[in-house]
Amino acid sequence: MINKSSDILEHLGAELQKTARSPSAEFKRDENTAMPAELRNWLVQLRLLEGVPFANLVADSELLPQESIRWFYMDRRWTDALVQGSLSVGTVNSDDRIQIDAQYAAIRAELDTEERNVRRHKGMARLAGQPAPITGFLLRSSAVSGWPGLHVRAFNVDLEDKDDDRFPENDPRRIRLLRLERLAPAVLLCMFDGTPKVVHIEEPRQGIQFGFMHEDNGNQRSAKLRPRNKSDFKYLDEDGGKDVDVPFRVGSSGVVDIRRLSDALAAHTETGADDGLDSAEYALQLIRFPWRQVFGEIEVPPIAAMFRATIEYAPMVNATFKL
Amino acid sequence: MPVGEGKFKLYAKLTPPLEAGLWRLRADQHFEAQTPETGLDANDLRVDQENVHLRIRSPRYLLPPDQILSTYPPANSFGSYGSRLPQVVIKRRTLPWERRLEGAPDKTPWFALVLIAEGEAKLETSVDVNNCVTAGVELEGLKEVAKGNCLVAKKSLINRVFPTKRDLDLLAHAREVDIRDTELMMGDDDGFLAVVISNRLPLPGKDENGKDAPVKYLACLINLEGQYDVLLDRSPDPTFATQFLAKHLVYQEQPALDDHLVMGTALAPGHPGANPLELGELTNPVPLASGSIGSHSTRYQSGAAVGAGVKPYAGSGQWSTSSSATTTSAKVALQMAESFRIVDRVQATPYDPEYRFPVLLHWSFTTTGDTTFRSLMTNLDSRLLGDVGNPAKPLSGRLPLEVVESGHIGLGHQTREGDRVRAWYRGPLVPHPTKNTGADRLKLAHSSDQLRVVIPDGREDLSLATAFEIGRLLTLSQPSIIASLMRWRQADYHAARLRSLMVSNRNLWEELLGVGFEKIDLHKIGPMAGRFFAEAIVKNPERFLGNPRARVTPGRPLEFEGKPITLLARGLGLEPALFTGNLTEVLNGLRDAKIPRDDLLVNDLGRIDVRETLGIDLDRQRIDLVSSALSNKLLNDHLTGPAFPVTDRLRVDVLDDNLDVILRDPRPLDFTDEDQS
Repeated sequence: MINKSSDILEHLGAELQKTARSPSAEFKRDENTAMPAELRNWLVQLRLLEGVPFANLVADSELLPQESIRWFYMDRRWTDALVQGSLSVGTVNSDDRIQIDAQYAAIRAELDTEERNVRRHKGMARLAGQPAPITGFLLRSSAVSGWPGLHVRAFNVDLEDKDDDRFPENDPRRIRLLRLERLAPAVLLCMFDGTPKVVHIEEPRQGIQFGFMHEDNGNQRSAKLRPRNKSDFKYLDEDGGKDVDVPFRVGSSGVVDIRRLSDALAAHTETGADDGLDSAEYALQLIRFPWRQVFGEIEVPPIAAMFRATIEYAPMVNATFKL
Repeated sequence: MPVGEGKFKLYAKLTPPLEAGLWRLRADQHFEAQTPETGLDANDLRVDQENVHLRIRSPRYLLPPDQILSTYPPANSFGSYGSRLPQVVIKRRTLPWERRLEGAPDKTPWFALVLIAEGEAKLETSVDVNNCVTAGVELEGLKEVAKGNCLVAKKSLINRVFPTKRDLDLLAHAREVDIRDTELMMGDDDGFLAVVISNRLPLPGKDENGKDAPVKYLACLINLEGQYDVLLDRSPDPTFATQFLAKHLVYQEQPALDDHLVMGTALAPGHPGANPLELGELTNPVPLASGSIGSHSTRYQSGAAVGAGVKPYAGSGQWSTSSSATTTSAKVALQMAESFRIVDRVQATPYDPEYRFPVLLHWSFTTTGDTTFRSLMTNLDSRLLGDVGNPAKPLSGRLPLEVVESGHIGLGHQTREGDRVRAWYRGPLVPHPTKNTGADRLKLAHSSDQLRVVIPDGREDLSLATAFEIGRLLTLSQPSIIASLMRWRQADYHAARLRSLMVSNRNLWEELLGVGFEKIDLHKIGPMAGRFFAEAIVKNPERFLGNPRARVTPGRPLEFEGKPITLLARGLGLEPALFTGNLTEVLNGLRDAKIPRDDLLVNDLGRIDVRETLGIDLDRQRIDLVSSALSNKLLNDHLTGPAFPVTDRLRVDVLDDNLDVILRDPRPLDFTDEDQS
């Protein structure tokens, strides 16, 4: 009897955790909606191409070569057709079709609003109104498979020199993500609610990482450490003039000789190593920051450079109309 | 004091007030009282000593999973981690300082994160905890688990890879982060974390072409209790003597290497994969430049060797030919070591004992080439979707991809008739902004065929029709959504229909229900109307209710055409006149009246067809009669054939002959009365 009830408790606990973990995509059924909540959830998911086979998103593998990022606009006529196909399941006779014809404008308007709020966190403002065009990118790279949990941020203004700054999630300059998902181990799909000026893709911050600047000159590897000031965390010399070579232990691969490293650091009194390095000071010197890749153009390149059709427009027209 | 979002504090140590183990808390109370009359001392007012036993628990052989916040690199991952030190983040901030290392300075972390390349040491899992430590080492106190994991490492490996006694203290620190900063806190409860860093970089290997080869590493958080003395006191100095010791080890395992040294030729190519020996070349000593003692940085390839003008020792092998001075000094060094080498050869393998360490936590990962996140991201081919990029060579065996300016691509299409043609398709992700607003939005379609478009070049554009079908099929694959759609249809479509019905009869309903039209709840209209009618009936029953129905109702009056007597007479086939007059006359008349007969039968009896018809009937009756009688009584006695042949022949011959049998008295033929008596 005791076992049984503890089993039940465990089960309940597991269920509770599962519910807590699942994303809060559920909408409350509120007043004056064009459709039931569960249907709206489903259609919003469809709108964001959830479950659509990858071959229908990218019809040919040549369109997404290895180590490439491909930017796109979302075709709303396509997603509208997707929703219409879904709605057609519920229409049986012509009476139903007349009915859904009458309601369709309201359904579409509601989906337009709701799809902007899919990834809204609790406490963030609901977005309303007619949506901007949806854009996004497909990234196929070993960076996706090797660094799971990439951070993607999009901005609607050019950040000028502030590429290194942090921005809170609800900053008005940030464009909300509609979807960020790995479709395959090495393929990342990201969709934005608007047309970003600048996109940041950042190495995952799995805690704070420690390490060195690593160089590989073909036959030999070496590592350098750029010392930091203990009090303000700034590099002693941004340009690397005071870099310290990392000594390694005799006869061992990659084992850092911490004793000699601290001796080397002691030459720079700002590091705090001259009076004996402690573990916090050592960690401070080793902290490495994740790499942040910034996509954004100072000069907008001509469309012809970014998208080269294999069949030009003029030959196509000539062939069609036998000109 | 809050730390502030995005910031954190580092602490060199966060030591616990009490170390793990068994503790006794002793409380003594002393009372003294002084009154004018008498004085009471502690003996008079004695309070018993209070002893409380405490056990402070701390994981020793296995780290509970809930104590681990994160490990880096992620377990079982692949990546180029060559420039990052592995680390583990532990929730309990005091854990690294909760136990005492025998022989170590106070407050030294009792565990270390060691990184082992594949094949360097052995990890044994599910070992009895008593066997988790080297034989002869006894860990006092409680063992929280029965089975643990242990790492078996040779002393030579410990010297090469394990942290030194001095390093231990620098490899663990504590961190305080803002509890509102989810990115840094990663789910901790109080914002204080303990971090243990490894002392070794997980470098990738080199294959024979000099390319990076993946190496699998095992990271182990090992308990050093009782075995602190096994660690090196300090890292070995890169001295002259050390150089030859290292060479000597190399010589034992790979004599060819020494030949290369003596001959001054290039080194043998390295091996792909994890080869500790090859990896070790990173830090192998570089022969001295001519006449110089050299600083550490020039004698080791750890950075400045090239800058100092000394050729690297490893890999290229050019050092031996480029500079005669260098060559000479190396040769001299080898000559000097000659005698040692002979001695060593006699000594054979030096004693290399094995040690066992309990493993609190272990995970493995693979370091691949030197691609970094940065190099991958900066070399990405960034274009709009639809661009085919710059393929190295066109894929053989297929037509070049047709991409037109609008982003449509040409695909093979098999029509419903079976023709193989080409069609245009464009997915939802397009290279140009599309018209997305107002009247340009797609009109509602009810079937995918409504969305098929034929464009002037004769091909079909199937993009939207495909989208419609995908939406339909995806929905059909979700029974709950189908149910939801159907519920919606029933509840809301029908309600809408009802509403339109009511709008057309608005005045009636408002009068009937007595409320404003806006307040009418469609879902409750049925009960409301019923209640309204019931109320009206109760108020004015006479307007709605009639008299009760009679118990018996008269039948329907018969209807006749003409006089009854005439009808009666016609029915009986008599003259109507017979029924007139008084009763006697009628009776007399009826008695005398000639009953009408039908002569037809008599007259026609002579006709041949009538006779035949009757004869057939008679025959059938007779056969039925005979066959049933026979089958019942005589089948076994007189007819033993396979079946009773009911044929014409039977009817004529057998039947006639046996008719006596059938109709005869059931008694036997020879039966007489006399016999019976």
